[in-house]
Amino acid sequence: MNLLLYFALVLRASFFSTGGMGNVPALHDDLIARGWATEKIFAEGLAVGQVSPGPNGLWVVSLGYLLGGLRGAILSAIAICLPPLVILLLDRAYHRVKHHSAIVGFVRGLGLAVVGVFGVVLVGLLGGVGLDAASVAIALVSFVLGGSKRVPVIVILAGFAALGILLYGA
Amino acid sequence: MSEAEFTRFWSLCQVAPGINLVAVTILIGRKLKGAPGILVSVLGLLLPSVAITILLTACYSRLEHLRAMQSALRGIIPATVGLGFMTAINIARPLIQESQHEGKGHAAMSLVLIVGALLLALWHKPVILVLLSAGLASGLYQWRFPSKDEAAL
Repeated sequence: MNLLLYFALVLRASFFSTGGMGNVPALHDDLIARGWATEKIFAEGLAVGQVSPGPNGLWVVSLGYLLGGLRGAILSAIAICLPPLVILLLDRAYHRVKHHSAIVGFVRGLGLAVVGVFGVVLVGLLGGVGLDAASVAIALVSFVLGGSKRVPVIVILAGFAALGILLYGA
Repeated sequence: MSEAEFTRFWSLCQVAPGINLVAVTILIGRKLKGAPGILVSVLGLLLPSVAITILLTACYSRLEHLRAMQSALRGIIPATVGLGFMTAINIARPLIQESQHEGKGHAAMSLVLIVGALLLALWHKPVILVLLSAGLASGLYQWRFPSKDEAAL
């Protein structure tokens, strides 16, 4: 894998998305198409990223490590730090940007399209680990638990890790 | 820093690319100490969590061949997918509510953008192009048909 190109892809995906998970669809598209990542590695990166502390979005660091070792992880971390710097320019133009209808519409369109593509990516990831009744049930229950906001994410994941060991053996 | 200023930073960061929390941290760091403040704030936010993420992934890499780890992953990955769907809903909800507030046309446009992007992704169209096209279409629509609040400005 060309680490510089990987860095450029993470940077591009993060520039054209908002929020920590908004870059998932674009990176999935780029890395799977190049054969640099499989659905399984992608899902592993997302899973470890969910368990990690800090802002939502560090899953890219985990993916970088799985694909390119420590250098991949560090390049990922640098790539996700750069796009938010655009806020300094936006802050200068605050009064013009905040209420400009075209800007509001552009950002909204980007967010809505991410949701649509994200749905397809998530179904693909589920298929990558073997789509069966148990995995669909686990996804549904974690969706409900996550939506309730009463159970911490780390507890949900630890619970399903234990269930996985019970179901599929140690 | 006042509460009003923090709220302004936070709302502005919703239109910034990348991780919102990093963008807010950049603005707070700049306010407190300029460029060095930005550097220290971002490092303070990310250094511990990035280091822990790397350590966790390194541990995982060493243990992934164990059967117990593979079994655990067969529970964790579907759970991550379920949580991912909740994230998608959390991204969509405020955007759809905002467009509903603006009128039926805007709400319909929001649904068209989600469904259109979903179909284009199923059709294996390049994601970056799908996202940019949706952004441009939505920007043009909003510019052509601004909400009452925007039109009043």
